Amino acid sequence: MSDVVLVVGEADGDGLAEPTREAVTVARRLAGSQGTVLGFVAGRGASGRAAGFAAIGVGQVVVADDPRWDAAPPAALARPVAAAASNAGAFAVVVGGSSFGRDLVGGVAVALGASAANGVTEAERIPEGVRVRRPVFGGRATEERRLEGGRAVLSVRPHAFPAAEGPPTSLRPEPAPNAEPAPAQLAPARTAVAAASRGAGPGLADAAIVVSGGRGLRSPEGFRLVEELAEALGAAVGASRAVTDAGWRPTSMQVGQTGRTVSPQLYIAVGISGAIQHLVGMVSSRVIVAINSDPSAPIFRVADYGLAGDLFELVPALTAEVRRVRGS
Amino acid sequence: MEIVVCVKPVPEAESRLRANASGTAPDTDGVKFVLAGYDESAVEQALLLRQAVPGSKVHAVSLGPPSRTDEVLRAALALGSDSATAAESDAPPMADPIATARGLATAIAARGPCDLLLFGKQAGDDEEGLVGGATAEALGLPFVGFVVDLRFDAAASRLRFRRSVERGEESWESPLPLAVGLQQAWNDPRTATLPAILRSRKAPLARHAAGPGAAVAAASVAERFALPPPRQGAKMIAYRDPQQAASQLVRLLREEAKVFP
Ligand SMILES: Cc1cc2nc3c(=O)[nH]c(=O)nc-3n(C[C@H](O)[C@H](O)[C@H](O)COP(=O)(O)OP(=O)(O)OC[C@H]3O[C@@H](n4cnc5c(N)ncnc54)[C@H](O)[C@@H]3O)c2cc1C
Ligand SMILES: Nc1ncnc2c1ncn2[C@@H]1O[C@H](COP(=O)(O)O)[C@@H](O)[C@H]1O
Repeated sequence: MSDVVLVVGEADGDGLAEPTREAVTVARRLAGSQGTVLGFVAGRGASGRAAGFAAIGVGQVVVADDPRWDAAPPAALARPVAAAASNAGAFAVVVGGSSFGRDLVGGVAVALGASAANGVTEAERIPEGVRVRRPVFGGRATEERRLEGGRAVLSVRPHAFPAAEGPPTSLRPEPAPNAEPAPAQLAPARTAVAAASRGAGPGLADAAIVVSGGRGLRSPEGFRLVEELAEALGAAVGASRAVTDAGWRPTSMQVGQTGRTVSPQLYIAVGISGAIQHLVGMVSSRVIVAINSDPSAPIFRVADYGLAGDLFELVPALTAEVRRVRGS
Repeated sequence: MEIVVCVKPVPEAESRLRANASGTAPDTDGVKFVLAGYDESAVEQALLLRQAVPGSKVHAVSLGPPSRTDEVLRAALALGSDSATAAESDAPPMADPIATARGLATAIAARGPCDLLLFGKQAGDDEEGLVGGATAEALGLPFVGFVVDLRFDAAASRLRFRRSVERGEESWESPLPLAVGLQQAWNDPRTATLPAILRSRKAPLARHAAGPGAAVAAASVAERFALPPPRQGAKMIAYRDPQQAASQLVRLLREEAKVFP
């Protein structure tokens, strides 16, 4: 039985993105102590990213050093990744759960004749292949699924696993087999990138902490309180639909059924009642804090910690306390 | 432009969620399957593009048994789709996504020309978000997911769109054909009029045998479906004044929940 697992590396500046390092953690568990974790990187500066793999102990890295991959969509890598996986006889391909990884999984699975799952929170090697667990129905349920047929492709839910650490090892790069891009796959081209619009905060989808505000903040100016708390925490800012519908903040911030699904380590809901359409977007967060003046608000039923009271008093106090303990 | 939209039947959001008798999948007894969330938005996007590009047609395709697909296809017709194809399969809900993708690819290829293939970002039930990329690969089409603000630039004969991802907003362009996973969700997509709903009841649906769900060598098998024990409800923090409330909460997050940096 093969014991090779391939991890596809996503770039973050010159190094490896955090989700890739989480994928390496999962790959190590699947490969076991005797197995091999193999890296894969593509694009200009791929060698830099390959070094990022070596820095966390993955020395053997397949490199497709071709600048044409840089402007291509992630899914364009499906065939080169599949080729590298079959060349190495890998039984699993693991990617981080960012948009990069999620766009890649389906194509790799088809190209490889493998089964697949996105957003897994557990992965275990079994004789038939790989068993995964994942939240479904907006975190209201979990499913366990056996990926059979000898090959499995999966992406890892952000923050579900620790990012892999060293010790570093020496880099042994090897050229990617069959890495000539097919013209059709390169037809879509990225022409520009604008950094996340709302200042320095992390993107909603992959933030470790999210602070969301609702109608309770009363006005666009009131909503600043949420942003100040988020800033102090280094958190991303979310909103209920009441806020985005009223035009206080852009719809890109909306969390819920018709907005984004988030699952941070910590979700703080401020002045949000907890309608089911909001809950489906955030209930799988690890720890939930609710601040609301109505002690019977449904949000308190899913929260771990509740503060019943006036947000206009509580939030500034919390922001000050966070700044104090973080020494800024 | 020939626009094909893939619409998945998903359990109505309000329906009660529980496991089936064997505990392997959600119970579908008495559950109504509907066109929902991102797929409804994908239909809206297709109709907006048809409006903007004269001569365009919108085709809806759905895979599953007729008891589930027909309802959503008629909903897509009532909203204004020109035609609807049921890719008939006995696959259970939350079936293997790769088998679904292969079935969809066969039905789409058999239906006719396709310049733009639209998917929702992820379905509200299994939330795989991988059927789009898999179907595209099976059809040999390039795929881009997490797409918002999709437009067609007729002069340049190119699609222009943005991709909303972790590190910001990317701008993209692409010639046709292309497959796209849409992240855009309209809070107020159009609603069907009563005459359109009545007409859609009688409209013909094209049928295509997509074969059993297990047509793929490598497949996944659902083993367990479980609802988490209900959360116990919040630990309410009693406090004297806002400062004390804040320091208590921070202490609990640090020492008990261990989430605070
Ligand atoms: C098809 C559909 C899709 C939807 N999709 C979404 C979605 O994606 N996301 C979403 O969020 N909603 C969605 N909704 C809307 C949802 O049903 C709710 O209407 C919405 O979430 C309410 O937002 P809210 O909690 O901010 O406002 P409210 O329900 O008005 O709650 C405001 C809360 O603030 C509290 N409050 C007021 N003043 C204070 C104060 N001084 N201090 C502390 N607390 C205070 C109140 O007690 C109240 O609980 C959807 C609805 C439908 C029908
Ligand atoms: N059975 C199906 N029939 C038609 N389209 C589907 C089906 N399953 C998934 N899709 C499409 O693929 C998208 C992603 O679904 P999923 O991968 O299940 O999260 C959906 O939003 C639909 O556009």
